Order: sequence, then structure tokens, then C-alpha cells
Amino acid sequence: MKLLTHNLLSSHVPGLRPGGGFPLRIELGHPSELPPEPVPNYEGDEEFLRRLHHVLLEVEVLEGALQCPDSGRRFPISKGVPNMLLTEDEA
Amino acid sequence: MEHEATQLEKQHVHSVYENTAAYFSDLQTKAWPRVRNFLLEQKPGSLVVDIGCGTGKYLSVNSQVYNLGCDYCEGLVEIARKKGDEVLVCDNLNLPFRDQCFNAVISIGVIHHFSTKQRRIKAIKEMARILTPGGQIMIYVWAMEQKNRRFEKQDVFVPWNKALCSRHFSESNQSGDKGEFIPTAKGQDIHPAQLVISECSYQNNLQPENDSKHSQNIDRCLPRACCMKISEEENRFYSALGRSFRSWFFSRSLDESALRKQSDKMKQLKQEGVWANTTVPIQHSRHCSLDLGHHGALLHEQSLDDYDDVFVESLSLKKPQWAPATGALKDVSVNGGHQSVVQSKGEKASFVNGPVEDRDCICGCNKDGAGKSDASKFFKRTSTTDSTDSALDSAVSVGDQTDAMLDPKAFMRYYHVFREGELCSLVEENVPELQILSSCYDHGNWCIIAERRG
Repeated sequence: MKLLTHNLLSSHVPGLRPGGGFPLRIELGHPSELPPEPVPNYEGDEEFLRRLHHVLLEVEVLEGALQCPDSGRRFPISKGVPNMLLTEDEA
Repeated sequence: MEHEATQLEKQHVHSVYENTAAYFSDLQTKAWPRVRNFLLEQKPGSLVVDIGCGTGKYLSVNSQVYNLGCDYCEGLVEIARKKGDEVLVCDNLNLPFRDQCFNAVISIGVIHHFSTKQRRIKAIKEMARILTPGGQIMIYVWAMEQKNRRFEKQDVFVPWNKALCSRHFSESNQSGDKGEFIPTAKGQDIHPAQLVISECSYQNNLQPENDSKHSQNIDRCLPRACCMKISEEENRFYSALGRSFRSWFFSRSLDESALRKQSDKMKQLKQEGVWANTTVPIQHSRHCSLDLGHHGALLHEQSLDDYDDVFVESLSLKKPQWAPATGALKDVSVNGGHQSVVQSKGEKASFVNGPVEDRDCICGCNKDGAGKSDASKFFKRTSTTDSTDSALDSAVSVGDQTDAMLDPKAFMRYYHVFREGELCSLVEENVPELQILSSCYDHGNWCIIAERRG
């Protein structure tokens, strides 16, 4: 799962407050470096953009989980594929 | 009904795809040209998602955009992943995406797997939700009206047979571009069950009152004269199979189940309401029915997955024309059903008695006015005959013939095939956030492109 994909994901556990499902917290199988906050006026900063591009599109989470910020529900990521299915009871 | 719907889909969509996923990578997959074009037209840098991406055949069409795919089936998603695609597993009815974040969405051969109208609407609404204003969605669904014939009912089970997963199917493609694709019946490894092709075709705007006008005995329907054209090869296959049995198992639409109140019909259904297993009564059509052939040779993988046309014979058609949506679509019933229940004679499986061609050749037709859409030009009109009770003897309930015919590898996939105009109506009436830009009939599918308003 690329980080850009992560940007688009939101927890869809029922009953959350609006926006409560985003952003999902990335839990990694092993610790890794995560990007810092973006600097202001980043659009002109070539170097920053290059690093940002790398982080968004070239870094992938292979094993881990995505945690819903509000409900705590974990969605597993395995072999680079997040499984966002809810169980029949949850849905 | 929600539970029945999920059970039906679990058994006849999800588990079939999971169990057959391993074979998909062997198949020669084809990307539909119009879908390709839709993807290639997206601006570079767009965020595009394929909802129901399967093995991801559309995810590498346009490398200038960000392609994301998702599917309910883990097995298929794994295959896509191995190809390097960015994919995830999720449910079309509950997409794990934020509102309005995609520039384009494609849904190719997906929503026809939902077993109720409400679920199909929900699927479309979910996809509209994740579209940014001005973003576009393309939806492809299997059409009830096929080139040479049409499905008898809108809710069908399609057998899947591993024997048909062969590269040989692709050989007879006549043109480099996606011309009419006709798998040869001569292939040795093709399952001997072949289908009966009827030239008679699609019935436009079928209304119940028409039926009363067509009460001819089916025995009068002479194959050659009116509606059937069977090649010699097909004849041989037919005889080889002996007494045939229907391989199409028509289910009652779950929507209709909820509405239907006639108690005598309920009585006839001994195994009613058991969607969790494969026992589904064959529906008898009061008007015409087509024998769509045997054992899944027909449409198991066709049109939407890999083949443009698995019919042995097909007419060459004009290229599908895009028709601007005018909103003036015919009034079609969504779950058009002339479904009354078959009264099988006896519990045992009963087979067709007479020569199959005569018996089962019953064509649907339209004697009314011309269809309003371009697609109707593709279909020839023939005279109508009505099926009588005698024809119904040949109809067998799935439960009865389970032992007789069931290839253990024949997984039954559920489809709700769409009538002309049904998809458009579905969107127009239920998904106001989408505006239909165009619609068309393409290779046995109804297709629309719509834009998110705002």
C-alpha cells in the first residue's frame, strides 16, 4: 500500500462521527521512519517535492495495519494489500 | 431481504470468484476498448479507481494517472498485486474512501452481481460519493439483450466451467481490434456442451399484455423457418449430449420475492426462499423463452471478463454507437419479470422429450413499435411464439438435477442482467448526484458514462 493510497482511505465503521474515520493510523510490522510535517510554501521547494513524491509513491507498507482513529478498529495490511472489509455484523 | 441478498452473493458471486481466481491468470484477458479510451482520456495526475478490478487488467492502461484497484475477492486482488498494481480488498457497498477524492471511477462488470435493486443503487451511490465534482464514472453491466438472443430472465445463474478456461478461445478473433470474437466450436478441449443459437432476438419493452396476443403452440415454431439457426456442429453436440437440460438457472429476483404475494405460487415452491443453497426453481416465462444451451459453454466468462462473444455463431453488427442521454428512455421495468413458477412434473429431473431444437426454440420478439434506442437496430425481429406447459416439462428445478448434471467444477455465478434503459433509469431516479453523459450498448453490455454534479 502506497502512502498516497493511505491518503485516500477512511475508516467506514458504522456510527463514526463525520470525519472520524480519517486518517487511519498506520501501524507497521516493524518501526520505520515516517514523514515529517510539510513545510509552508512547499510547492516551490523542489527538494521537498522530490522527497514528498518519494514518500507518497515509492514507499509502501507491506505488513501492518490501519487503525480507525475513532473506533480503534484495525484493518490488516498483508503483502502490501489492505483488507478493508467489515464483517457482516459490523456493517 | 438483506440477509438473503448477502447470502446469495456470498455463495454465487464471492465464493465462485475466490475458488476460480487461480484460473483467471491463465486466461487471456482483454481490456475493452471503450474502457481503455475512457481511462486514457483522464488528465495526467488524475486519481482513478477501478471498483471491482479483479485481476487488475485496467490498472496499467494509463500510466499517467494514479491507478488504484479494489475488489471483494482476495484471490483476484492478490493476482493484481503480483503484477505490481496498487490494490486493496473492500466492499463496493461500503467503500473505504473519503468523499470526493477520485477524478474517475470505473465499474466494469460489477454491479450486475448485486442481487437486489437497492444494493445496485447503493453501489452506484457509493461510487458517486467518492467522485470529485466533475469527476466521471463509467459503468458496464451485462445486458439482457444479447446479439442473437436474449436472456429469458434478468436474474440468472451462469455456470462456470474450468474446461472453458482455455487459450483456444481467443484464436478465432477476427481482427486485431476487438472485432466480433467467436470461439471456435472445433476446439478439442472445448467442452462439448455447446449452445443453441437463436437468431431471434431481443424483445423490446416487453409488457405482460403482449403475452396474451402470442399464444401459439411452441411446436409450431420451426427452427429453420423462424428463429433458430443451428450449425451442424451444434447439432452433433446436441445429440452427443443426449437429452439436454437447461444450464441456465433462472432465479426469481429477490426484489420480486419481496413483492410477490400470490399464495398459490408460494405453494408451488417447495424449496422456496433458500438462497443459501443452489436450489432455485426454474422460472417459467409466460411468453417466450430461449433455450440458451448447455453447461455453461455460453456466457460463463464472456463479455465482461475476457471474451467479447462466446457464441458459436453471431451476426456481425454495426459498431456500438454512443447515444447522448436524453432522459427520454423507454419505460422499462427494472426487474422485468414475467415470472411465474414452473410446476415441474414430478420430483425427478425431467428432460426434454422431443427433438431439442424444436422444443426449445422459442423466440422472443417484439411486435410492437420500433425501439427508441440505437441498440434496437442490432436486433432482428422475428415472430413470437409462446411457450406452453408442455415446454415447461423440460424445465427442471436446480435441486432436482443437481446430481445429474453438476460438474463439481461448475460454479454458478449470479447475475442480474440489465434491460435496455434500466441502468440509465436506475441512475436518473436514484442517484441525483450523477448526471448521465452518454450511454451505449457495447459487446453485450449496457454502458454509461456519468459525471458527478457539483
